[in-house]
Amino acid sequence: MSGQYAVGDEPVVEVRNLSKRYGEFIALDDLSLTVRRGQILGFIGPNGAGKTTTIKILVGLAKPTSGVAKIAGVDCASDSASIKRVVGYMPDGFGSYDNMRVREYLDFFGAAFGIPRKRRIERIAEVLEITNSTYMQDRYVESLSHGMQQRVGIARTLLHDPEVLIFDEPANGLDPQARIEMRELLLKLAASGKTLIVTSHILPELSRICDQVAIITQGKLRAAGSLEEIMRNLNQRRTIEVQLPANQDLVEAERVLRNSLGETAVVTASPAEAMLRFETTQTDEELSQVLASLVAARVQVSQFRELQTDLEDAFMSVLQQQRAAALAAETV
Amino acid sequence: MLAILRRELIAILRTRKAFVLQLGVALCFVGLIALRWPTDGRVDLSGTRSGQVFGLFSYGLLAAVALLAPVFPATSIVTERRKGTLALLLNSPLRAWSIYAGKWFGVLGFISLLLVLTLPAAAACYAMGGISLTGQLLAVYGLLLLAAMLYISLGLLVSSLAHSADGAVRVTYGCVLALAVLTLAPYFFLQQSGGWLSELAAWVRCISPVPAMMEIVGHGDVGSEAAWKGPSAVVRFMLLAPLLASLFSGITISRLRYHLLDRARSQGLITDNRSLGTRAARRAFFIVDPNRRSRNIGNWVNPVMAKEFRSRRFGRSHWMLRLIGGCAILSLFLAFTVTTGTVQWDLESVGGPLVLLQVGLMVVFMPSLAAGLISSEQENNAWPLLRTSPLSGGRIVRGKLLSALWTMLLMLLATLPGYAVMIYIQPTLWLQVIRAFVCLFLAGLMALMISAMVGSWFRKTAAATTAAYVAVLGLFGGTLLIWLARDAPFGFQTVENALKLNPMAAALSVFNLPGFRNYQLIPASWWVAGVVIVICFVVMRFRVQSLTRPE
Repeated sequence: MSGQYAVGDEPVVEVRNLSKRYGEFIALDDLSLTVRRGQILGFIGPNGAGKTTTIKILVGLAKPTSGVAKIAGVDCASDSASIKRVVGYMPDGFGSYDNMRVREYLDFFGAAFGIPRKRRIERIAEVLEITNSTYMQDRYVESLSHGMQQRVGIARTLLHDPEVLIFDEPANGLDPQARIEMRELLLKLAASGKTLIVTSHILPELSRICDQVAIITQGKLRAAGSLEEIMRNLNQRRTIEVQLPANQDLVEAERVLRNSLGETAVVTASPAEAMLRFETTQTDEELSQVLASLVAARVQVSQFRELQTDLEDAFMSVLQQQRAAALAAETV
Repeated sequence: MLAILRRELIAILRTRKAFVLQLGVALCFVGLIALRWPTDGRVDLSGTRSGQVFGLFSYGLLAAVALLAPVFPATSIVTERRKGTLALLLNSPLRAWSIYAGKWFGVLGFISLLLVLTLPAAAACYAMGGISLTGQLLAVYGLLLLAAMLYISLGLLVSSLAHSADGAVRVTYGCVLALAVLTLAPYFFLQQSGGWLSELAAWVRCISPVPAMMEIVGHGDVGSEAAWKGPSAVVRFMLLAPLLASLFSGITISRLRYHLLDRARSQGLITDNRSLGTRAARRAFFIVDPNRRSRNIGNWVNPVMAKEFRSRRFGRSHWMLRLIGGCAILSLFLAFTVTTGTVQWDLESVGGPLVLLQVGLMVVFMPSLAAGLISSEQENNAWPLLRTSPLSGGRIVRGKLLSALWTMLLMLLATLPGYAVMIYIQPTLWLQVIRAFVCLFLAGLMALMISAMVGSWFRKTAAATTAAYVAVLGLFGGTLLIWLARDAPFGFQTVENALKLNPMAAALSVFNLPGFRNYQLIPASWWVAGVVIVICFVVMRFRVQSLTRPE
């Protein structure tokens, strides 16, 4: 693969106190984040959160009202001509042209980036190879399936060998097979040293590939870091499941749990599953005491486990926190 | 059917475009009458003045119907197919004829509304006296309704065949122009030949509403030299228009089935991978095979220009060759027919049909080539990709304009053989030919720049194409409308000033064509065209700059 970049701690994307206003409307509010070389940043947020505005500023399509955004040392706002050479951008909608074959499509964008003809021929072959799209080079672009078009779109972003790739919803509308292929392709690109910023609504997909996650709502960055860090910071409550072999001890188990956790604890029983669930902020040591009290009360326990949280939970926690804060503000 | 009719009509009426059209049409025709309203105390008992105004009013209305009636039906079916709502309609208990009738009456309702808005102006015209209510006023409105029905049916047929909304608009306007203008041509040449051929040409001529309209307003007969025999043009049009509309409707209704949605996507078979025999056969047939693997864009070629040629449906070399070949044959045929045939003209007058042919070609092709240059990028989501490439706004504009300019030049050059024949027969004509050629070049460039500039302000290619056609046809046709009303009601100076806006008129005056020979249009027309071209370029450049700038 052309353009191997060394993976390291060096920040490639730096965003500091970025704000964007459209009249009275605040699209971005004091956003700061950093992405290091070779990392994949999952940029998530509900519709209208400000993801696309951030991306537009990063690729030079919009200017911030205040703040700084730099990619590979190039200022995105003041040097939008240079930024085009260091960033490969794939928007949400695939920009296609009628009656053009894949090779011609790539040839056009290669020429638009000023790649000399000889080098362009080689480069087109390379990017088609990287994206496993060589077999479709003679097909008409508009006749391709959505998954194929996404791969051609990625091939296009790679033509000028940019350091940073920004993909807006690359997995949107893809079938499971195409989604797996897309995931592998993104990991392959990151492994080659490219820095990726990926937005997606399909959060389980992102959680499988991202090193870093940034959650944005209403233009504000709510959380950033690795998934584990975010979960630790956001979700202090843990959900514990207590599985019993049969449901005859269910009432007794619920009584013991309430005694151990306190009367205010929310314990839900599911007789059909012979299971109890509760949410707690207790540490592992404190939870071991809860289990010990169950055993001491001669309740047979087959499993005592913590429910694993994922990116969706983290995202929902952020939304809930934000709603609670908004409600509190309204009440005041 | 009623549900579709209601939806179609309401959908049209809700658009800003419809509001602008209604307001524009009403104001335009009221303004026309107001301009010619008697200001002195005397009454014109002969009705000459009202007759003049009525003629202009009628032709204007006919032009408005020909321009506006095809817009809505042309995009109707193809847009539904692309959005997927046609599948929903076909999946409902609605029958094909019912879907069709809903659309047809919906558009007819809107056109009728436009015509109703002109009634106050018509009433004022009638009040000026000298106009027959049934023989002229009602007859004009009846004719307009028939023409609207014909063009609506045609638009819907094209829409059922087209692959894109803008393509449908292009083809529909081409067909409307062919039905309204080209149908006049055979009679022009064959009227004195007699026999069944002449009679057939007379019937074909009446497919156009123009002869019928001329008959109603009492303007004699366009291009007619022989005495008119048989039924009047009005009667013939009243027979032909419903017949053709029924034919178009029948074909469209028969197409409104599932197979319309059941089309395989082109796999794009490449000739380079096929057998030697196939390759050779395709080479002989196409000369430049569109399915061979194309060469990469050269280092010094504007990539946007190359892209435009490749992505344009008729931009590939084999289509260019066909276009040039067609133009050359048509030009030679025209020159041959008028110099050796039935019409006894001096050689200068031969230039008239050649000029009309060339301008006709450019008026049909230029808006379709240039209107969607910017809007198609926005519609296909490709504009952000261009913006994130290092291409400057200026380079994008140059590439796009060049792609249309080359095609225009090829079309102009392809019609040169006709002039070559003229110069061969009468060498002294060379200066006139050069002058006419400059006029035609400016006419083409003006049509191109107006289309490109107007189209750049729209996000949808179909809307851009429609607006460009209206602007270009408005300029070339509108000035001719004023010319038609020369000396009545417009004075010599007004007509001459109006014609200076139209380089085609300048080309016709160069050849001293009857009706144009008295006007001194050169070099003023060249200057006007030059200024219009520069203004259009500056506006378009400004528009593209604003679209490429960071938000």
